[in-house]
Formats: sequence, structure tokens, C-alpha cells
Amino acid sequence: MIAVPYLTALTTYFSYGLLFVFGQIRDLFRKIPGCCRSTNLQGYAPICFGNEDFYTRRLYLRIQDCFERPISSAPDAWFDVVERYSNDNNKTLKRTTKITKCLNLGSYNYLGFAASDEYCTPRVIESLKKFSPSNCSARADGGTTTLHNELEKSIANFIRKPAAIVFGMGYVTNSAILPVLIGKGGLIISDSLNHNSIVNGARGSGATIRVFLHNTPSHLEEVLREQIVEGQPRTHRPWKKIIVIVEGIYSMEGELCKLPEIIAISKKYKAYTYLDEAHSIGAVGKTGRGVCELLGVDPADVDILMGTFTKSFGSCGGYIAGSQELIQYLKYTCPAHLYATSISPPAAEQIISAIKVILGEDGSTRGAKKLAQIRENSNFFRSELQKMGFEVLGDHDSPVMPIMLYNPAKIPAFSRGCLEQNVAVVTVAFPATPLLLARARICISASHSKEDLIKGLEVISQVGDLVGIKYFPAEPNKPQLDEKTVKLD
Amino acid sequence: MANYYVKAVPSTDLNKNTEWFTYPGVWTTYILILFFSWLLILSIFGCTPGMAWTIINLSHFVVTYHFFHWMKGTPFADDQGIYNRLTWWEQIDSGKQLTRNRKFLTVVPVVLYLIASHTTDYQHPMLFLNTLAVIVLVVAKFPNMHKVRIFGINGDQ
Repeated sequence: MIAVPYLTALTTYFSYGLLFVFGQIRDLFRKIPGCCRSTNLQGYAPICFGNEDFYTRRLYLRIQDCFERPISSAPDAWFDVVERYSNDNNKTLKRTTKITKCLNLGSYNYLGFAASDEYCTPRVIESLKKFSPSNCSARADGGTTTLHNELEKSIANFIRKPAAIVFGMGYVTNSAILPVLIGKGGLIISDSLNHNSIVNGARGSGATIRVFLHNTPSHLEEVLREQIVEGQPRTHRPWKKIIVIVEGIYSMEGELCKLPEIIAISKKYKAYTYLDEAHSIGAVGKTGRGVCELLGVDPADVDILMGTFTKSFGSCGGYIAGSQELIQYLKYTCPAHLYATSISPPAAEQIISAIKVILGEDGSTRGAKKLAQIRENSNFFRSELQKMGFEVLGDHDSPVMPIMLYNPAKIPAFSRGCLEQNVAVVTVAFPATPLLLARARICISASHSKEDLIKGLEVISQVGDLVGIKYFPAEPNKPQLDEKTVKLD
Repeated sequence: MANYYVKAVPSTDLNKNTEWFTYPGVWTTYILILFFSWLLILSIFGCTPGMAWTIINLSHFVVTYHFFHWMKGTPFADDQGIYNRLTWWEQIDSGKQLTRNRKFLTVVPVVLYLIASHTTDYQHPMLFLNTLAVIVLVVAKFPNMHKVRIFGINGDQ
């Protein structure tokens, strides 16, 4: 539940209205003369139909320098950001050769594996020499190496499921699996704030899609009851199967999903559950096993567990974990397994080594330390930000913390202000978030030291004061209690 | 102003073009924009309040007709053109008729008409233009006009 100050909501709508009006006026001038771009392609259809690219041209391009900033080093706690300049008001950006070292508050580097690691990197280099950077083949043809089998066993073991299958890309894992699992005549009930990969996969499957209010198990129950009673559209036959799709940590809210209630409801109405743990695997839970461990849900209760290796394991790719029969079926049918190139061997080795570090199988306690560090860092950062008066979303223990900005002008102001002081943050606006709720999303990593976090807090507080995003009253500093309190009897 | 907070609950509407209309504060912003544009017109042209309201009514007619009932599709390419045949009015609330938002948007032109005709003392030619504007806008918002294209005007190629 996000509490928006009413005046801010009004000014945000007004600002977007003004931007829209100016964009339309500019478009009008673009159409009338028609002289600037005379195309000699007669009879060809235009690339963009109607007003499709309005948002990109008139709103996104104005603040283009806040997005897609190139970096020239590994995304560790501090990284090098390449400076860019523009001669035509941000329509085109040119890179320079100058770089600035900035504090990285934007990468999904939850356990610090994104940079060179003392256990993982030597092993990765060894596997690179042994196996080569790419298999140049699909899994079904010549792309399955011993590393892939070891990786699948390792991840199934880690998740505590009977079997797993891995893919080369995280986005593709969702969008290629859902059409295989369910088709026309099935029902997909997905949370309203699910990731674009799930939405794409669901649309591609051909099943009917229904959405329930974000993280509201009571509304899920309502939707399930209504849909089971009504059956398929027009024929009203019973649904062939029902899948409920939720995420572990929602990347734009930092919220944990209410998993125990949702699982209970799905079991009651005999629907399958699909949990996308892209942001939570390896980052939450006592031993890093994700939301199931954190919320006390038995992994056997969730039918399909999906996750990616890009966030906590410092690699690339995604996995699906489930029962033996499910994984066997996927190996026969999933196009991402049959036709897409398999995951790169050094990337697979990085994941295997990262899992070993997390579980402590490398002989040290670094894994446990990293997990404790990220929990401490997240809770410290979040509580400090809230004390300063920022509106921060997300649950306790979650390493993702969005700071609400609201007004469209504050997005580039905050982003550029922080970059000037060498702190790199990621800002997200419409249409990735609802129109009113633009935010700056901070991702905390286990490789951030206390000094890094304090510097980050200082800069954010300064820029926040300048931009005016401290929407909640700041908590006053509690006076220090004396060591010796006089007891009056 | 004391900090008065409202709760923003994410809605189940997947259409980014219309989802913003379900959040708190939109109706107030709409009414305030109309009121402040009236003040602006009064200060720029120095006309009578009645003329200013008539100008507001007519420009409101032109603007809302163009954006609600003429332009089709969405300003993003992400939704792959699912809504390319629907105007904004047909897209809101996922096509459900007679919701609160739709009722509010139908009442606004009528109230504007009443204010404009009252402040101009029902004189011609303002009365005729105002009446034409309100009839066109209200008829376009009838539930029976959902996806109807009269004489193929604004139909698909």
C-alpha cells in the first residue's frame, strides 16, 4: 500500500498532462510542414503505426541520459560509468572516453558475485580453457556437457526439488516455458504486477489470462471461484488446467509475496502454482534458498519453481525446478531446450561454484557471511532511509528498495543529482510502473561495506532535500541516553 | 497544507494507456485544470466570464473529442497493437459500461454546458455552439455507441 501525498498526486497528473500537451504540439508541427523527412519509399507501410512511438519520442528521449548508461568495469560495489554528452538536447548521446568511479546502487549483485571472486573466478577461467566460451549448439544436439548435468543436479539439490532444467537466458525461461505448460482451454491467473516475461509467455500460450489484485490472496480466491464456476469463455466447459503465477520478490516494489496463503488457496481449488524467484533465490532465506525458506513454505508444495542466475549468482540464464516427470516432459517439448543454444560453460561453472560458496561446500564460511551481510545491509539502509523521511517500499529483509519520486521532473533531477556526486541509481518511470508511481530503485549488495552505505545515504539525503522527495516527516534523532542513569527511589 | 495522504492501490487493468485513470486524484486534477484554464482565458483575453466559459466549453469539446473518441490505439508499442481498433473511451475500464469513471466523464460536459449557458444568459450564437458540443460529447459516450462507427467515420482501413 503506497501512501501518496494528495498534492503530489495532483501535481504529477498536471505535469504529465503538460508533457503530453507539449508532445502533441511538437507532433503537430512535425506533421504540417512534412518537409523535414521526405521519404522516397512510396507504397511502403510506416514502421510505427499511428501514435505507437509517441511515448518514446516525446517523453523518454527527453531524459534519455538517465537510462542505459554504459559502464566499463565489472558491476561490483564501485564501478566505472562512461560519461556521455549530447549536442541535440538528448536526442542522440555520444560516448566520451572519460569514466567516473561511482557507487553502484543499481546492479542486481545481491551476494557480490558480480565481480571477481576468489573461489569462482579461477574455476571459471579453467572451464573456459577446457570447454570454450560457447557450445555453439542446442542442448538436444551437441550442447549438453558434463557441466550442464552437474549444474542441473546442483540447482535441484539447492532448491530441494527432485529435478531441474537450465536455459541460457532468464527472460526466455518464462516466455518459452509457459506456452509449453498450458495452452488454449487453460487458465492463467497472474498477479497484476508480474514481470513482462511472464506476461509475454502467458500471451504466447493462448490460454485465457485473468489478473488478481497485487498480493491479495482474498481477491485471488474470488477470481478462482468466479472462473471455476464460469468455465471456459463461450463454451463454459471446465478449464483444462489452472496455473497461478506469482513472484517471490517483486522487483519494482521490493515486496515479498504472501506465499503461504496463496499456496493454501491454490491447493484448495486444485490449481497449479508457479513461483518466479528471480530476485529472491540466493538473496533471502537463512541459507539463501529463497522465499520458500524465508516464509516457511515446503518447496514440495509449489509445483513449479523458476528462477534466474543473473541476480544472486553473478551469471546468466534461468532454471525451472519441479518433479522428475515435469522436467522430463520439458526436455522433450520446450523449444528453448531443443533449439536455443545452451548456457555457456564458463557461466555454468560460475553458478556451480557460487552455489558451493553459498552452501559452504568450498570449505569456508564466506557464503554464510555474505547472506548475513546482505540482510544486515538491507535492513540498515532501509531503516536509515525511512528515518530520513523518504517513502521507501519493500518488506523487511528484502534487498530491493524503491524510493518514491512521483513527479516526472524529479526522475531526471534525482538521477543526475546523484550521478554528479558519484552515486549511480536506477530510476524507473511509466510505463514500467504505474503513471503516478515513478521511483528510484536501490539494490543492496553483500559487497557494499558500511562506509559505502553511509556515503550512499549522505548523497541520497542531500539530493533528496534538493529535489524534495522526503514525503514523510523525518524522525528526530533520539537523544543519547546517559551511561549512568540516576535512580531515584 | 497538512500532508493528506491517499492510498494508491495497483489496479488489475493491464492496459497502460487507461490504467492511470483508476488512481486517486485524477478527477480533482481534471476539474482544477478546467477551472485554472478559465482563469487564464479571463486574464489573457479580458472577456466576460460567460464568453470565457463558452471558450472553455468549446475547446474542452475539441480536445476531449479528439483524445477520447477519435484517436485509436495506445502511445506504446509494447502491447503489440491489441487496442489499435479501440478509442480511449472504449478502452477504459476494459470496456465495461456505466462504471464510476465513465459516469463522471459524462457528467463533466453537461455541467460545463450548464455553467456556460447560464453565464452567457442563453444568448445566440453561443447557445447553439454549446448545445452542439454537449450533444455530440454525450451521445459519443452512450453505452450503445460502444465500438459503433457511424457511416464508417474513423473506421479501420
